[in-house]
Amino acid sequence: MTIPRWVIPVLVVVFMFGGYGLRLAFTQPTTNVVFAEQTASGEMAKIEATVQGVKCKGTAGFFTKMYNETPGIYTIKTYASEHKAVFTYDPSVTSPDDIKAVMEKKLTFGDGSKRQIFTCLEMVEK
Amino acid sequence: MKTRVLRWTVLSGFAAFVLWYAFGYGDRSFENLCPFGGVASLYGLATGGEFTCSLGPANLSLLIGIVVLALIAKRAFCGWVCPLGFIGELIYRLREKVTRKRVKTIPPRLNAWLKPLRYIVLVLVLYFTWQTGDLIFRGYDPFYAIFSGMGHGTLGWITWSILAIFLIGSWFVPMFFCRYFCPLAATLDPFSRLGLIKVSRNAETCIDCNKCHKVCPHDLHPEKVDVLRHHDCTNCMECIDACPIAKCMTLKAKV
Ligand code: SF4
Ligand code: SF4
Ligand code: SF4
Repeated sequence: MTIPRWVIPVLVVVFMFGGYGLRLAFTQPTTNVVFAEQTASGEMAKIEATVQGVKCKGTAGFFTKMYNETPGIYTIKTYASEHKAVFTYDPSVTSPDDIKAVMEKKLTFGDGSKRQIFTCLEMVEK
Repeated sequence: MKTRVLRWTVLSGFAAFVLWYAFGYGDRSFENLCPFGGVASLYGLATGGEFTCSLGPANLSLLIGIVVLALIAKRAFCGWVCPLGFIGELIYRLREKVTRKRVKTIPPRLNAWLKPLRYIVLVLVLYFTWQTGDLIFRGYDPFYAIFSGMGHGTLGWITWSILAIFLIGSWFVPMFFCRYFCPLAATLDPFSRLGLIKVSRNAETCIDCNKCHKVCPHDLHPEKVDVLRHHDCTNCMECIDACPIAKCMTLKAKV
């Protein structure tokens, strides 16, 4: 069967934009850390933060570690390509403001300087 | 209209889209528009359900898109979308304009010997990415070097040397990087081999002028077969445009 030439560019555009749109079907995170199982009595809330500085697996791992000592966090999932982090937490123990304060904390570096690595651009309750 | 005008328009559109992302206007970083990132992510996804380094869902979904495209239209991604292939093509076309001569390609036997290099590149890139969980090939990737503006992860003089080899090689050999080094081409090859839409020649009307072979950027031989199945064909249609006999070369859907 003879195929008209215009079919190729049409296929190309359809498959490239279709392929790009298909990304919404894949929700795997960059990191997925469980700090604590939710207890039967514990409440659960969910918040999604857009974080400047979470841009690869390394920065996402470092970001998650900042919550090692924070009480009330159940899980953190990061999505580096979208610069996002999703927290589940116990709202009776911690709050979105506390979560934001932890990520924006200034850290002391080897040369003695203090710097903030992550900036919370937006937080949305889920 | 010559197909090249349409093809370059489509290629320019995709290159502009990537540039727009590279300058920071899109909702993610431009690396997320590279389908090869989907290949690099497969191990991380299979073993830990997580994307590698800065890669994300778009890398994987674009890879799926171009694999299905290859099954239908061979490596049309290379001929019609890839900005790096477009840069390579512009360089050798510029040389043709400057020297007013068609670029002489390298001897066929050497060409055949060098082509499998891309499979070695693919294996090395995947091995080290999967070992380290990092995109360590960034520093060796001309696409990343160009569109990131020698950004994070590039390796100084090593990356500059690779860029120089890419530019000089493209001047002397059409589609230099694509032919011998591109790991995405190596990934697509088996799917492209099966690709449904192929360049076909009518042997009864063909006058054996060889023009179709001379214009092929990948040095393929559509003049020797009735149906061109070679995995390197990008369906760029340069050969169809060059053929002096009407309807002698066409695109056909053939299994
Ligand atoms: S072979 Fe590789 S660099 Fe060349 S056009 Fe195809 S994907 Fe792009
Ligand atoms: S055979 Fe024709 S369509 Fe295929 S790559 Fe060569 S010139 Fe392009
Ligand atoms: S350009 Fe056309 S006529 Fe010439 S060899 Fe190729 S198919 Fe035959």
